[in-house]
Amino acid sequence: MISFSDLKREAAFLSKQRYVVFFLLVALALSIFSVWSGVAETRAQIDTIERLLEKDAIDREDALSKQSDYGSAAYYSFHLTYSEPSPMAFAAMGQRDIYPWKHRVRMLAIEGQIYETDADNPELSFLGRFDFAFLISVLLPLFVILLLHDLRSSEREAGRFDLLIVTAKEEKQLWLSRALTMSLALALVLLIPFLIGVLVTGASATEIGLMLLVVLGHLGLWTIITLFIGNPKRSSSQSSARIASRLLAVWLLFTVLIPVGSDTVINELVESPSGGEIVLTQREAVNDAWDVPFSETWRAFLATHPEWESKTSMNSQFEWKWYYAFQQVGDQKAAELSHGYREATQQKDTVASIVALFSPPMLTQRLMSSIAGTNISSSLAYEQRVRDYHASLRSFYYPLLFNDGEFSHQALSGMPIFGESQANEAESSD
Amino acid sequence: MSVIKQIMWDEWRYWQRTRLAITVIITGVVLIVASVIVNAIGIQHAKHEREHLQHAAESRFAEQPDRHPHRMVHYGHYVFRTPSPLSIIEPGVDSFTGTSIFLEGHRQNTAMFADQRQSSGLTRFSSLAPSFLVQVLAPLFIVLVGYASITREKEAGTLNIMMTQGVSKRHVLTGKLFALLGAGLLLLLPMILASLWASFRGESSLVTGSYIVGYLLYILVWSGVVLGVSALSHKSSASFAGLIGLWVVLCILVPRIGSSTAAALEPSPGKLEADFAVLEELRKLGDGHNASDPAFEQLKSNLLAQYGVETVEELPINFRGTVAQYSEKKLTDVLNDFAEIRMQEELSQAQIARHFGWLSPAVAIRSFSMIVAGTSLETHHRFLREAETLRFEFVQSLNKVHQDKLDYQVDMNRSKSAETSKAARVDASNWSVLSSFSFVPEAGGVRLVQGGTYGVQLLFWFGVVVLFLNLAMRRMSE
Repeated sequence: MISFSDLKREAAFLSKQRYVVFFLLVALALSIFSVWSGVAETRAQIDTIERLLEKDAIDREDALSKQSDYGSAAYYSFHLTYSEPSPMAFAAMGQRDIYPWKHRVRMLAIEGQIYETDADNPELSFLGRFDFAFLISVLLPLFVILLLHDLRSSEREAGRFDLLIVTAKEEKQLWLSRALTMSLALALVLLIPFLIGVLVTGASATEIGLMLLVVLGHLGLWTIITLFIGNPKRSSSQSSARIASRLLAVWLLFTVLIPVGSDTVINELVESPSGGEIVLTQREAVNDAWDVPFSETWRAFLATHPEWESKTSMNSQFEWKWYYAFQQVGDQKAAELSHGYREATQQKDTVASIVALFSPPMLTQRLMSSIAGTNISSSLAYEQRVRDYHASLRSFYYPLLFNDGEFSHQALSGMPIFGESQANEAESSD
Repeated sequence: MSVIKQIMWDEWRYWQRTRLAITVIITGVVLIVASVIVNAIGIQHAKHEREHLQHAAESRFAEQPDRHPHRMVHYGHYVFRTPSPLSIIEPGVDSFTGTSIFLEGHRQNTAMFADQRQSSGLTRFSSLAPSFLVQVLAPLFIVLVGYASITREKEAGTLNIMMTQGVSKRHVLTGKLFALLGAGLLLLLPMILASLWASFRGESSLVTGSYIVGYLLYILVWSGVVLGVSALSHKSSASFAGLIGLWVVLCILVPRIGSSTAAALEPSPGKLEADFAVLEELRKLGDGHNASDPAFEQLKSNLLAQYGVETVEELPINFRGTVAQYSEKKLTDVLNDFAEIRMQEELSQAQIARHFGWLSPAVAIRSFSMIVAGTSLETHHRFLREAETLRFEFVQSLNKVHQDKLDYQVDMNRSKSAETSKAARVDASNWSVLSSFSFVPEAGGVRLVQGGTYGVQLLFWFGVVVLFLNLAMRRMSE
């Protein structure tokens, strides 16, 4: 077994290696940067949501105060929906720059609103962010390779090899304890800024534990891969550069070739309705409603809302209840496509999760963004919450519209608010 | 000259013998060829699909039945962005921006359905784009092929022998550089062929020419870096570790650090937040659906005076259509002001990230490549602007139809009964006001000017490498 004194001796030795110390300092700086930029970005997102909430409430109150009927009230009032970054989001920004995390919706057809995206700057998304997850999933393997590929050969080149072998109790143990010391040192410099970040944002102990597990697991795996490929029995005559080239090939395979190849295959395999199709269908349905007999709209509407059967008589060519009914029908007509679209996203994600089993860096990244709640499923869950909220708006307004009661601002005060009560419902239905 | 050639040939023969280099080169070339093919097919497919959808949207608009003109304003229209010819090499921001926009009255919608939103999420770091392979992986391949080009000779003592035989350091370095460049060119070849093909598909040859030159510079820079480091190192292992470290920093770290820095230094408030300010402005303008809104009093009295009548009913035109035109114009001015601000914000954010091109040639080539290929943020903004122009044009044309071809009284009575509602319609032939849309990026010359700074960045790197090689030559130890 490797004893503590072995590790201590190696640590003392490493601290005198200028190259290693410099390397670790660089890794520390990178980790600090990734955590800082992640924390800054999540802070900015939280601030944005706060400001939006404030403006949203003022704007809605203002809009509602001018209305004198329920139909216009629903038409002119928007509602902010949002998904706050989790305390762990700073470490893995995941898909939050591509999938929207804020929407303003109103009671018109949801299919016409939900695809509007207030996404980040596309050029920055294209370049990618330097978050902690990127550091761990893509760069950490390269660090390990650079640090550990020449354990033996560097000693040989320094002329200490024979001396070391003679003084060591057992050769294998010597290299193992050296590799372990280096890995631990690397883990330390990478994780300290992360732990400070966690203190700042206040993530839960379970999340922190899981995150540490993923980081250490990935680090351990690459340490083993590096030691295995650098094993003298397999590569006694190899120069350190040759060993490293092999390791880089493995890295390339895992980080680039497998993900990119599978992505191409997945896109071929999973059929998805085109997004454009959904909004076109919805638009046709909503616009046709003006030209088709009222009865047709009512028939489709009553199929899902039979409770209003007795209240569909119309006194004019335009009535709000009819207007919102055909908005609902528009959604219903596009429902199948929209469902297929989300299903396809889900399916691609599921296949990707299987592919990730063959690519440790991808697996690491997926696990980290799943712990941070920034992965595709989280984004889809947010979209569902928006849909649920929109549905709750409908069930709030329909009685007011169909029962034809006197307009009162008092009645509007019970309007559902995003994030309240509905959050609990969403959780219990999961 | 013949000495240089000899050294170059020797290097190639050595690669062939040792298999490592030849494996790397073949792997690289196969990868890039595959990516060019897959990407070209994908882009071609997307191009046809979007062109088809564009035609479909246009004919569907024209086929709408007789309607109240304002209904067509809300029926709206779709525009699709067709990819530029060079996007088979450099897809750029294309998959991160939406590729279609819904155009309607009184609103500027965002582009919808970015490809990345429907992807497996596996391609956030790497992608199969030829540009990614050449910008990020080709340097790695050059490192693997060339890290030992000088150190090997030092370790074997052959460098000394060459020197004593009267071969100058300059000859050695030049010969080795040509050898490395040869490998780099092999990697670049599939891309060059694809560029020529893009030329064939309508890209100006000035653009493709500069595009190829940009990439040649990039390959040259990396070949020079690899050779210089090898010349300055005493041992192959040191040269290797140094070069891999450099590659990680320049190709992987700096671009992302640039993007994160830009996001942190200049956080953009996002469209949603800007929309509140827009709303505030718009409230002052009045609601264009409501002709009796006090905001239109001035317009009304002007019109009445102009036609010498007392009431809007006596006007020879439909006042509601006039109001719709008037308010759409005002509203669009406000929306455009805010849209411009937002685009400027995005651009200055991107420019912070692009400034990192002074720190890494990989960032420089990326900016250059995107802009010249017509897949940059600028081109996306152009798409947004053109879409907006089309939106304003057809909405106003419909409002004009509303003003001129629909009687005011008939219009006012439209909600009375099914008959009056039918009467308040105009003939479907009026829907031909919509002009057809086909998006093309900025003219080649404009893109080259936009990309100029980044071309200069590449030249700067070229200069740095020349100096570096000179230094390496002087310091090159045996």
